[in-house]
Amino acid sequence: MLFRRIYQFLIVYAAGVSGLMGIKYGVGLSDYVIPGPELILETAGRVLTTYFFDCINTLSVTILGQLISIFMAFSVGILGRKSTWVGSFIKVMAYNIQAYPIVALAPIIFILLGDGFLSRLLIASMICYFPLLLSVLGIMASPVEDIEHFYKATGRMRWQLEVKIRAFENLSKLTTVIAGSATLAMAGTIVAEFIAADAGIGYSIRIALYQSDLAGILTALFMIGIIISVYQGLLETAGEQVKTKWSAPKGGTLI
Amino acid sequence: MRSVNRTRIIIWTATAIIFWLCSVWPAAADGPVKLNYRLKWLFNTSVAGDIMAVEAGFFERSGLDVTVKEGGPEKNAIKELELGYADFGVASADQVIRALDKGADVVVLAQLFQINPMQWIYRADQHRIEMPEDLRGRHIGVTFGGNDETIMNTLLAMGELTKADVRMSSVRFDFSPFLKRKVEIWPVYRNSQGVILETKLAREGEKVLFLNPAEFGVSFVANSVVTSGKTVKSHPGRVKAFLKALMAAWEYAMDPANEPMVLAEIAKKDKGTEDLIRMKQLDATRELVKPSPRLKIGTIDTDAWRQTETIMLEEKQIKKPVLVHTRLYGFPAE
Repeated sequence: MLFRRIYQFLIVYAAGVSGLMGIKYGVGLSDYVIPGPELILETAGRVLTTYFFDCINTLSVTILGQLISIFMAFSVGILGRKSTWVGSFIKVMAYNIQAYPIVALAPIIFILLGDGFLSRLLIASMICYFPLLLSVLGIMASPVEDIEHFYKATGRMRWQLEVKIRAFENLSKLTTVIAGSATLAMAGTIVAEFIAADAGIGYSIRIALYQSDLAGILTALFMIGIIISVYQGLLETAGEQVKTKWSAPKGGTLI
Repeated sequence: MRSVNRTRIIIWTATAIIFWLCSVWPAAADGPVKLNYRLKWLFNTSVAGDIMAVEAGFFERSGLDVTVKEGGPEKNAIKELELGYADFGVASADQVIRALDKGADVVVLAQLFQINPMQWIYRADQHRIEMPEDLRGRHIGVTFGGNDETIMNTLLAMGELTKADVRMSSVRFDFSPFLKRKVEIWPVYRNSQGVILETKLAREGEKVLFLNPAEFGVSFVANSVVTSGKTVKSHPGRVKAFLKALMAAWEYAMDPANEPMVLAEIAKKDKGTEDLIRMKQLDATRELVKPSPRLKIGTIDTDAWRQTETIMLEEKQIKKPVLVHTRLYGFPAE
């Protein structure tokens, strides 16, 4: 899973860079507009280590932001799973807040919290949280009639059991959504850093952009791609293991 | 019968196309030359001359149909020249020098700002900065990776200071760290943000001062009109006409006698700014663009360009000398 993620990213990245090179040499553009392979390699050699640690810095905020989002999304999703007024209110609110571009909200966040760690964390969580919440709400609000009917009929249904049944029956969807939300959390952190932080890969991209350094930006994109591929690959592997563990009966093996 | 009808349709269609081409082609050939001019920033008072070039008909009278496009943080006129999206543009000196370092074919036609608007604002109740050494121990805002960082590093070097002798903080788009006195010295564009902050603080009873690096001998060139070397070679007449019209428009815009008309046109484009602020911004722009009545707008300060290149070399912003003085065309207005 992990290696597949990485080589898939490498294929996409190589295709993107090849496309750029095709345009560069096809149209005859200078290194200022699109850097040549030599300049990209030279820049990468210079900044790769710095960008690696910047990415790790960004990833640490991403992971924390994602954990907060998952916790919040499951809490709210479970609370709002019933087709009650609260459930529909949460859904509408989530859709509405999701519609706001984060760049419009970011100034308010930065004025209130400054441009440090908290702002990055909040923006990462916000970008990651709402899509996650909508997925969790959708899953938790869909009854698994075949199974739930039995417990309801025998009077043994409790909310914890209901949540467990729905989570178990939608385990694939949930793990996919959680793994997918990693990219959102990473994107959120990078956006926050790009707008007004003083650390992380988004901040480095902003500096490269100020200096019209596309080679630097391409290097940063490469590093982000690799790091996020590894992280997502690990999440997917963990998800597979959880599924296997949950699906296998105690003391037995999965058929 | 069917084939006769088809032949008639083809003949009629062909005739219609020929008539249409005949009616359209001469107009295209004889009409004004269509050009795109990409600014560096949004429409506001600091581009007064560019606005007036269109609105007061300077381009039209020169037989040019110029679309003036707003700039922005993601817009880069030099890249657009190369990609063919723009024919002329406004770029800062550091952009020009970086582009030359990477093999771009860009030439400078006119230098719009004789004094760089990138300056630092600080409160008048604080220790006055009369020499670069006075920066020691101060808390300074800089845009890391931006022009202002390069200029500040040069100022520090002039004062024989290092980054360890001052406290530097990364600036962002809102001024709250400066307003809350968390950062003492804040980078601003003197004729836009500088005016806004100065007015805002004056209303609170606070006076401000500006740190102008040029006063300490750091002449880092700002916005200039650029085009590609290819355009200069292939359309010298067009370049001359464009530049003549543009510089005439800037002279018109900076003439205090025309202030009401100029402010009225700016107000149409920059609706979010108060009238009083726009008026002050125009005054500030005038001092930067035409610091003395005798100086022609657009005059290229070759020494300042050389100094800018030297600073960028010393700051390792470029790898090798680009001989920027060989790219300063500065077409005569007459």
